Amino acid sequence: MDPQLTEVSQQLERFKAAFVRKDYSTCSDLLSRLKVLLTKFTSLPPLFENTPNAAQELTLARDIYEHAVVLSVKTEDQDAFERDFFQLKPYYVDARNRLPPSPQENLILGLNLLRLLVQNRIAEFHTELELLSSATLDNPCIKHAVELEQSFMEGAYNRVLSARQTAPDATYVYFMDLLAKTIRDEIAGCSEKAYDYVSISDAKQMLLFSSDQELLTYVNEEHPEWEVKEGFVVFQKAKETAPCKEIPSLQLINQTLSYARELERIV
Amino acid sequence: MAAAMVSSAGGLLAMLNEPQPSLKHHALSHLNNLVDRFWPEISTSVPIIESLYEDEEFDLHQRQLAALLVSKVFYYLGELNDSLSYALGAGPSFDVSEDTDYVHTLLAKAIDEYTCLRNKAIELKEMVDIDARLEAIVERMLEKCITDGKYQQAMGIAIECQRLDKLEDAITASDNVQGTLSYCINVSHSFVNHREYRHEVLTLLVKVYQELPSPDYLSICQCLMFLDEPKGVASILEKLLRSESKDDALLALQIAFDLVENEHQAFLLSVRDRLPAPKTRPVEVVQAATTAPTENPSGDVQMTDGTPAPTIVHETDPVDATYAERLTKIKGILSGETSIQLTLQFLYSHNKSDLLILKTIKQSVEMRNSVCHSATIYANAIMHAGTTVDTFLRENLDWLSRATNWAKFSATAGLGVIHRGHLQQGRSLMAPYLPQGGAGGGGSPYSEGGALYALGLIHANHGEGIKEFLRDSLRSTNVEVIQHGACLGLGLSAIGTADEEIYDDVKSVLYTDSAVAGEAAGISMGLLLVGTATEKASEMLAYAHETQHEKIIRGLALGIALTVYGREEGADTLIEQMTRDQDPIIRYGGMYALALAYSGTANNKAIRQLLHFAVSDVSDDVRRTAVLALGFVLYSDPEQTPRIVSLLSESYNPHVRYGAALAVGISCAGTGLSEAISLLEPLTSDVVDFVRQGALIAMAMVMVQISEASDSRVGAFRRQLEKIILDKHEDTMSKMGAILASGILDAGGRNVTIRLLSKTKHDKVTAVIGLAVFSQFWYWYPLIYFISLAFSPTAFIGLNYDLKVPKFEFMSHAKPSLFEYPKPTTVATSNTAAKLPTAVLSTSVKAKARAKKEAEQKANAEKTSGAEKSVSESGSGKEKGSSEKEGDVMQVDSTAAVEKKAAEPEPAFEILVNPARVVPAQEKYIKLLEDSRYVPVKLAPSGFVLLKDLREHEPEVLSLTDAPTSTASPATGTAAATQGTTAMAVDDEPQPPQAFEYAS
Repeated sequence: MDPQLTEVSQQLERFKAAFVRKDYSTCSDLLSRLKVLLTKFTSLPPLFENTPNAAQELTLARDIYEHAVVLSVKTEDQDAFERDFFQLKPYYVDARNRLPPSPQENLILGLNLLRLLVQNRIAEFHTELELLSSATLDNPCIKHAVELEQSFMEGAYNRVLSARQTAPDATYVYFMDLLAKTIRDEIAGCSEKAYDYVSISDAKQMLLFSSDQELLTYVNEEHPEWEVKEGFVVFQKAKETAPCKEIPSLQLINQTLSYARELERIV
Repeated sequence: MAAAMVSSAGGLLAMLNEPQPSLKHHALSHLNNLVDRFWPEISTSVPIIESLYEDEEFDLHQRQLAALLVSKVFYYLGELNDSLSYALGAGPSFDVSEDTDYVHTLLAKAIDEYTCLRNKAIELKEMVDIDARLEAIVERMLEKCITDGKYQQAMGIAIECQRLDKLEDAITASDNVQGTLSYCINVSHSFVNHREYRHEVLTLLVKVYQELPSPDYLSICQCLMFLDEPKGVASILEKLLRSESKDDALLALQIAFDLVENEHQAFLLSVRDRLPAPKTRPVEVVQAATTAPTENPSGDVQMTDGTPAPTIVHETDPVDATYAERLTKIKGILSGETSIQLTLQFLYSHNKSDLLILKTIKQSVEMRNSVCHSATIYANAIMHAGTTVDTFLRENLDWLSRATNWAKFSATAGLGVIHRGHLQQGRSLMAPYLPQGGAGGGGSPYSEGGALYALGLIHANHGEGIKEFLRDSLRSTNVEVIQHGACLGLGLSAIGTADEEIYDDVKSVLYTDSAVAGEAAGISMGLLLVGTATEKASEMLAYAHETQHEKIIRGLALGIALTVYGREEGADTLIEQMTRDQDPIIRYGGMYALALAYSGTANNKAIRQLLHFAVSDVSDDVRRTAVLALGFVLYSDPEQTPRIVSLLSESYNPHVRYGAALAVGISCAGTGLSEAISLLEPLTSDVVDFVRQGALIAMAMVMVQISEASDSRVGAFRRQLEKIILDKHEDTMSKMGAILASGILDAGGRNVTIRLLSKTKHDKVTAVIGLAVFSQFWYWYPLIYFISLAFSPTAFIGLNYDLKVPKFEFMSHAKPSLFEYPKPTTVATSNTAAKLPTAVLSTSVKAKARAKKEAEQKANAEKTSGAEKSVSESGSGKEKGSSEKEGDVMQVDSTAAVEKKAAEPEPAFEILVNPARVVPAQEKYIKLLEDSRYVPVKLAPSGFVLLKDLREHEPEVLSLTDAPTSTASPATGTAAATQGTTAMAVDDEPQPPQAFEYAS
């Protein structure tokens, strides 16, 4: 067996061991070393060279990146998640006909969908969705994300929150927590537009807080422009509706005159 | 397994955010390969890559890689400036030799940028900060071109970037230095817009030339002439003349002829004066003797013995004797006399003008219409320009005598055009009309003035002999008509000499503030000072502001314009001053100044300015002239003109249309350019009469010497002219245009063309200013004659060592019909008779048809079908002699029209005999016969060519020995002149040809 390949698989084993131990810092160290080692393999994307060990290398690399994605969820690092997911994606998309499908694939895809939902990147969410086959859509992981999105769009926020219990995998919990916050932001945004002010108790109910204190912290942290006074939350509608745009009359006059002049010159 | 490809660059882009540098590097290098496909994706991540480039901690190579990647993305985004600046940052990673669109585009951009910066630096005379990296790229490019053998590219870039050092490298490195040099000269003339810079380039070229082991003296001298360095030319000529070899002497003579072709009188004179006299410079002999052997290894010696004695300083030295003999010859050439004489002989002997055309014009023109009457006289003069054939005038003395006043002036002046170049006898020819010194009021002032003008035309640009006489005449008269003629004459004869004395005389005429004389004085001053750009221009401008007479202002305005001829940027202040003037006439002069200062440069700035005036000035005159001026700016690039003025030719303003027509006429003169003809064609039937006039004249200028065989529209145009002339209801203006056009179409006995560029692509000064003044005929008809300055004979004249014309044959490898003279017109009567509508009875038609049928049957019965075939396609020329004859007979009774009898197969070539007519379009077909006795010194298809005699000892057969002569008109002529009305009387006995005397 190719020594490099052996080295990588050994490292991966160590990584897995550390992962099971939940020793995440060792994991990231090992992971970064693995990634550097992977750059040596020419059979990986974007080159896809037909080396003798291509299939093994690809599988190995895919495995590494899948672990990397899961690791990033564990370490609650969304940037790393995105990075690793993008690097993983070619293995799913472009190497589809070179490799047997990964058992983890749907799980990871679902996670990614969830992440997009959390980050409120709905457009990208749908793009990703379009790329999936109809069979994949029936997978519980994917289905879960899709249903969440539907509830989210309908405004059935309570359904979203209750979905936490039905999460198909333990890794999903992290995103579900984040989703709650996303929903709260969404509601806050709508209230801001809809009301001039709301009583604190109503606000508490709407934003799904259990205590006034939580509400106040939230307001202070996320919406410092809101004002809390006399039992009301006043949305500083910085609604200075922009004054009607001035008609650029002078410019128009100049333009018209220059047209007239040009017309005169037409030969 | 099918080759898989990534479908997105997302993975690699994500990798850029990885903390490890090695991963980033991996990503960068892969992205760099994928950028051509995934640039839209990468473009969103450009900021990340930029930050990698700017990251100081990053490895240098990787930073350059990042810069290259960003540059490529910007290139795809169309942001070339950003792309270039990052490409510069990429340093060596940016591979100049890569063969991709990206690299090509960026290189072009880099060179453009560099050129722009260099030009700015030189313009502001200060150091503009030029990015060293940019310079490095351009230099890398230049070196690559040179090593790849693409010298022309390297030279082009070097010239454009004003890097003379690199230019020199490129030239010397090239394998064909001669070829490269001549290419370089061409380029510097056509693409270098800065006059000063062009001088620098040419100076460099001369330097390189002279360092060559076997310099090409012809080209050096051309360069030196452009640089206005008579000293250099004189020393080269002297060296060649003193050489032992006859070949070198021939070369010197050839150089002299080539110089003369550019008509730079002042320069030629100063070269001539610098050639040392034979006896005074014995030291030169030594030098010549030492240099000679290296130049001519063959050494066909015509001296005493092979080794020249360097110590001999005697007057009787044979070397000196040869030198003296050659010197006389070359001086004759440089003064222009030799070439003028030969041209005159050629035009006289080959004159093919068609008197019938004139006759038709004369008959159809109404007697009382003086405009058409004098137009006919102009047309006659132009048709016979330089041929000395004045038969038409002689035959129509009565008719001629109807010319009165100014018409008489121009009729007399017309003789000058006809006898143009008749230097020896010019004065005696004109004697009957010249002002008689003591007699006082002998003839009419109009014919006297005209005669002085005529003398100027005869001696145009070669006025050494006549200047004094004209000056005396000018001083001794105060009749404004005579002054007018004398001023024009002086100006013409002393073009460009900037002679102070003449200038003062003319100026005093100007200050008399007489409108008629002042106008001529203004023009004359301009002619004197052509291209000198002296202070005197401002003096003239001041007077133009002072005087009340529009005529004087106009004359001065044109004069000022003439002074800045060819000065390009040097004239900008004056042009600015003139074009901003209140007075439209001065602005009008400003247009001419623009036209002449930038003549033949196709300078973008000038074109832009002219177009601006053409559409925005309030005065029609200025607009017309601005458009017309485009013709002058663009004549070096005639294909451009129709395109540029095509919109203007559809203007609602007739003046602009007129200008467009003449602009095309001027710049495309003699080219027969198809686009030009297509543009002019609709204008010849314009609704406004003067537009028709301009279009007809312009068309004639374009079609000069184009035969009907090469463009069928020529024939159509000739018929159109005839129709206009014969049409009773046609406007006088367009009729005049048609008459002039038929003159120009057959100018100079059908042996001249209008040419503004010499064969070496230099401007022909006289021709350009001739046309400039000619275009003034809008205001003053007598100025029409200035067009004769632009005529140059289309001839191949081969000369031997003795400057005689030996019998020499060469081949034109094209069908003779393509370039032959137009067929002489036939008597018009039969045509007109045929046109008459006659009542035709149905019975007679039937009878005719029957008769015809019978005849046909008879013919069929008699002969085979071959006869009929020849009727239908008479031109095919495949038939045998017998059937052809039959066909001819049939034709004669079927149609009375002129039908070609060219049934014989036309040969694919024709043998021409020296001196021969070679029209410009024909030049490329000229070939030498292989076993010819003579070999030309320079390979030129036309013009004066010195021939080297390979068989010196055989007797030479000379052709062209008869010369036109006209003895002084006898006393009867003078007597007639005194009678006033019949002033135009000329001796009507044709003189016998007299032997031509060669100057020795």
